[in-house]
Amino acid sequence: MRSWVDAIVAAGVVPASYIPESSLGRPDEDVVPAELVEGDALRAYALPDGAVTPAPVSFLDGIQHWKVVGHAGATPVVRAHVAGAVRRRGPDRRLRTAAERSRELAITHLAALPAAARRALEQSGVDVVDLPASELGQPSRLLRAARVRVDRAREAVERELAEECVARLGPHEWLVVDGLLSDSKVLAEHPRALGVIKSHGTQFFSGDDLELALTLPEKHRTSVFRPQSHQHQRVYSWYLRMWPWEGSDVLYGLVRIEARAHADTLGAAGAISAWLVRERAPVSTPDARFDRLLYPIHDVETYLRSRAPRDLLPAFAPRLPRTGS
Amino acid sequence: MIQKPDASPIPIGRVVATELKPATPHQFHFWTANETTVGIGAIVKVQEAGSGEQGEGRVVYGVVTDGFAYSDLATPLHDVVGAEGDPARAADAPTVRQEIRLWTAAVLRQEPEEPLQPVPIARVFVANDADIARALRMDAYLHNAQPTAIPVGLYTSGGLESPVYLDADFLLGPEAAHLNISGVSGLATKTSAVEFLLASIFQHFPKHRGKVAAVCFNVKGSDLCFLDQSGALDEEDRRRYARLGVTAGPFDKVRYYAPLKADGVNLNTLRTHPDLVGDVEPLVWGLSEVLDFAEVLLNRDDIDAKADAFIDFLADRVLNKDFEDPLVGHHRVQTFADLEALFRAIFDGLELHGRGSDSWRTHHIATIRKVRNRLSNVSTRCKGLVTDDGPSNDLPWGAIEDRAVYVIDIANVDPLGQDLVFARVVSQMREHLERRDLGVDAVVVFVDELNKYAPGDGPDTYVRKMLLDISERGRYLGLVLFGAEQFRSQVHRRVVGNAATQVFGRMDMDELATPGYQVLSPATKIKLATLPVGELMVRHPHFTQPIFVRFPRPAVLRGRDGMERFPFTPDLPFPDAVARQLVHLDRAIRPNVVKDLVADRDQDDVRRALAATRRARPADPLAYFRKALGSRVAPEAPRERRGVPPLKPISEEPY
Repeated sequence: MRSWVDAIVAAGVVPASYIPESSLGRPDEDVVPAELVEGDALRAYALPDGAVTPAPVSFLDGIQHWKVVGHAGATPVVRAHVAGAVRRRGPDRRLRTAAERSRELAITHLAALPAAARRALEQSGVDVVDLPASELGQPSRLLRAARVRVDRAREAVERELAEECVARLGPHEWLVVDGLLSDSKVLAEHPRALGVIKSHGTQFFSGDDLELALTLPEKHRTSVFRPQSHQHQRVYSWYLRMWPWEGSDVLYGLVRIEARAHADTLGAAGAISAWLVRERAPVSTPDARFDRLLYPIHDVETYLRSRAPRDLLPAFAPRLPRTGS
Repeated sequence: MIQKPDASPIPIGRVVATELKPATPHQFHFWTANETTVGIGAIVKVQEAGSGEQGEGRVVYGVVTDGFAYSDLATPLHDVVGAEGDPARAADAPTVRQEIRLWTAAVLRQEPEEPLQPVPIARVFVANDADIARALRMDAYLHNAQPTAIPVGLYTSGGLESPVYLDADFLLGPEAAHLNISGVSGLATKTSAVEFLLASIFQHFPKHRGKVAAVCFNVKGSDLCFLDQSGALDEEDRRRYARLGVTAGPFDKVRYYAPLKADGVNLNTLRTHPDLVGDVEPLVWGLSEVLDFAEVLLNRDDIDAKADAFIDFLADRVLNKDFEDPLVGHHRVQTFADLEALFRAIFDGLELHGRGSDSWRTHHIATIRKVRNRLSNVSTRCKGLVTDDGPSNDLPWGAIEDRAVYVIDIANVDPLGQDLVFARVVSQMREHLERRDLGVDAVVVFVDELNKYAPGDGPDTYVRKMLLDISERGRYLGLVLFGAEQFRSQVHRRVVGNAATQVFGRMDMDELATPGYQVLSPATKIKLATLPVGELMVRHPHFTQPIFVRFPRPAVLRGRDGMERFPFTPDLPFPDAVARQLVHLDRAIRPNVVKDLVADRDQDDVRRALAATRRARPADPLAYFRKALGSRVAPEAPRERRGVPPLKPISEEPY
C-alpha cells in the first residue's frame, strides 16, 4: 500500500519532517483531595521482609510517536503512531508478548487541505483526526491540540488492551499497568490489577502530610488513601519509595500505586509494596527514569519502540536539505 | 546417504546488519533465540524471500565463526546496584534481562555466485544434508557421473548430522594432494583419524581412478601394529559408520615389515605375540641398498666432494664386480663384510707397499677412513636392518597390492636407521611410480612426527628434502603424503603448505597463537583448543571455510588395547627364534628338530640359511634349511645396480 503521506504530498501538501519537542509536557491536574483510609493520620510504614513475587504477572505499557509530515499552507499535517502491549512474565522469569495493538493517525484541520489531499487521505484508510477550526492558529497551538489527540489515542489503546487482559487473567495472575488504574472501571475494580504512576503532577496532600509523602525513606510506603477525583474511578492509592532519595531529589524513586478500592487492599498494601520494591532489579537503565520505572515496563516500552515505524523515531541526523537520491 | 530436505523448515534466526556490523559478501551476522542449537562451526542457510519477477531470492550458506551474548545492561555497575552488591540476590531478580544471541558467520557459498553481493537481511535456517552438500561445494564431486567423494566425517550440529566428503582428486591427486593433520598428543586422535580415513579411501576411492595402497611408517609405540585386528566399537560408532557409508572393520590386507634385532633372528617390533609375529616380514638390507643412500648416512659436515667421489667409485667400480688392484689384489664386494675386507686390504697395502704414499687411486687415506667409518657405523648402529653378510629382504616393489596397507615398524630403530628406511622406501616408490610399475596408481605415505622429519628449522637433511619433494611433486606421480605432527608451526612451511587438505585436532593454545592461525576467529581457536576426542576441523580446497566434523573410532585395535590383548613377548633364545620362523613357514616342522639342527652351529651360518629359506619359500622349508646350513650359503646374485635419480633441485620460491 502506498503511504498516505506520499499520497497527500503528491496531492499538493508540502512535505515536512519535524518531531515536536517532547517537553510540551503532559496536561497536569492540580490539587485533588484525598481521603485517608488506613489509620487516622498519614504515616510511613516500613515494608515487611520476605516479599513474595507472584507469578505469572502481566505488564502493560504504551508508546506514542508523532511527527509533522506536511504542511497545507501553514496548517501542519501530523502523522502519529500509538501502540500498547502486554508482556507476560511466567515461571521462567522471562517476558513474552501476550497482546499488542497499534494505530496510525493523521491529525490536521481537513478543511485546510487541498481537495486532492483530502481525497488521498480518505482513500488511504488511515484514521483521520480532524481538528476544529477553533484550535488553529500558530503551529504551536495546533501541535498542542494534536498532542492531546495523540495522548487520548494511546490511552484508548492501553485501556482496550488492559481490559482485554484482565478478562483473561488467571486465578493468581496480576496485571501491572504503567499509569493510572482509575481511567478504567474494569481495571479499577479488578482485585489483581495495579497501576504504577511515575509522574507526580497531581498533588493529594499539603503541609506535613505532603512533606511526609515526599520524604519517605527507602522501602517505605505511606498510609493508603483514596483520591477524590471526580474524573476517575474510585481506587485506593499510596506512595512507595523504591530507592533512597537522599542525595538526589524528593521525587527520586517515588511512585504512587493504585489498586482496587477494597478492604483487602489495605491488608495487602505492605506485601504488594515489598513485591514492587523487588522489581528494582534488574535496573531499567539506561532509561533516565530508572528510579521509578519497573524493568518489565521498560521492557514493554523497548519492545514497542522496536516495532514502531522507524521514520517516526527521533533521528540523529540534522534536518539538512535532502539529496537527490 | 544424503537425506531429503524437510518440506517446510522453520527459521532459527534472522540476519541483522548495522552500520557498525554490516553484512558483506564474505561475512554476516544473525540473531537466534537464546535457546538455540546453533554453535561455533554450525552451517546455516540464509534464504532471501523472492519478490515479484525475481522469483526465489538469493541463497547464502555460511559457517558460524563467532558468537556474542549480551543483555540490555548499560554498565556492570547497574547490575551491582540492582542486586545491592549481593551476587546471590542478582539471580533472584523477578525478571530475566533481555539477552541476545548474536552470531557471526563466514560465507561458504552464494547462489547465484554472480554478481557477488552483500548477504541479504533475511531469515536463517539450519542447513540440511542437501544444503551442506551445496554449501561445501560437494555437489560437484558427489552427484556427478563419476563421483570421487571420500567420506571424512559427520558434520554435527544441534542433533542434525550430515556426511562430509573430500574430493579424491584433491586428496590423492592429480588436482591437488596430501593431507596434514595437527594436534596435541593423545587427545588429537591424529592416528585414529588417519586410520579411519584410510579405511574410507580404500572403500570409496573410485575404481576408475585406479588402484591405491598405503605405506605407514610406525615411528612410535604400537600405534599401527594391529591394523588387521578388530577394535571395540559402540553403537554410536556403528551408527556413524552407517551414516557415512563406510563398512566398519579392520583392514583386509595389511603387510607388516620390521627390521631384525641385532641377533638377526628376533624382530625389532612390538608385534611379537606368537599369534601375530608370523605375519611380520623382516626388513633386511645389504650393502647395495645402503650405498644407494649414502647421502642419508653422511651428516652435513661429511658431505664433501672427496667422500662423495670415493662412494661413487665404490658403487661404480667395486660393488658386485670382480675388482682387481695391484695393491689390494682381487675382491668381489657384495656385503659389508666384503667391503670391510677391501678397506683392510687398502690400509694394509698402503702401509706395507705404499712407499710413503697416503693415497689410493687418487683417494686420500683420510677420505677412505671417513667413508669406512660412516659405513661401518651404519652396520653397527642399524644391526638387524643392515646385514653385514647376507641377503636382503625388502618390500614387494612392483607387486604392491590394491587397497593394502604396508606398515613399516621402525619405532625401535636408531634414528639413522629410520632415516635410511624412510629414504629408501620413498625413493623406491617414487622410482616405481615414475615407471608406472609399482602395482598401484597411488600410494598414501603416512608419516607421523613431521616435527622431527621435516622441521621448519634445523639441518637440511636428506629426509626433509625427500618430504619436500613429495609435497611439491608427489601429486603428479600418485605419491601422497599424509603427515601428522603436534606443532604445525614447527614443520617446514612448504610441507604443510602443499597439503591441500588440512586437518586439526585439539590444539595447544600456544600453537594457536602463532601466525599460521591468524585467519581463525577467537571462537574457532577456543573450539580447537577444547575439541573432544573424535572431532576435527577440516580444510579442503572445495571448502571456503574450515568445517568441524566427527568421525567414528577406527574399527581396528588401538595400539594400547593391542598390547593388552597381544602382549609383548620377550626375545626368544636364538634356537627358539629360528625354530619359530621356520614353523611359521611350515607348521608341520617340530621346533625340537630345528633346535637340534642349529645346536653348536655358527650363528652367522644359521642366519644366512634362515634368510635363504625365507627368501626361497620352498615347498619343504626344513629340508631347504638343512641343505643351506650344510654348506656356505651362496651369496645373493648381484642385482643390476640402478642408480637412484637425484632429487631435483628444489626452488626456494614459496609454494
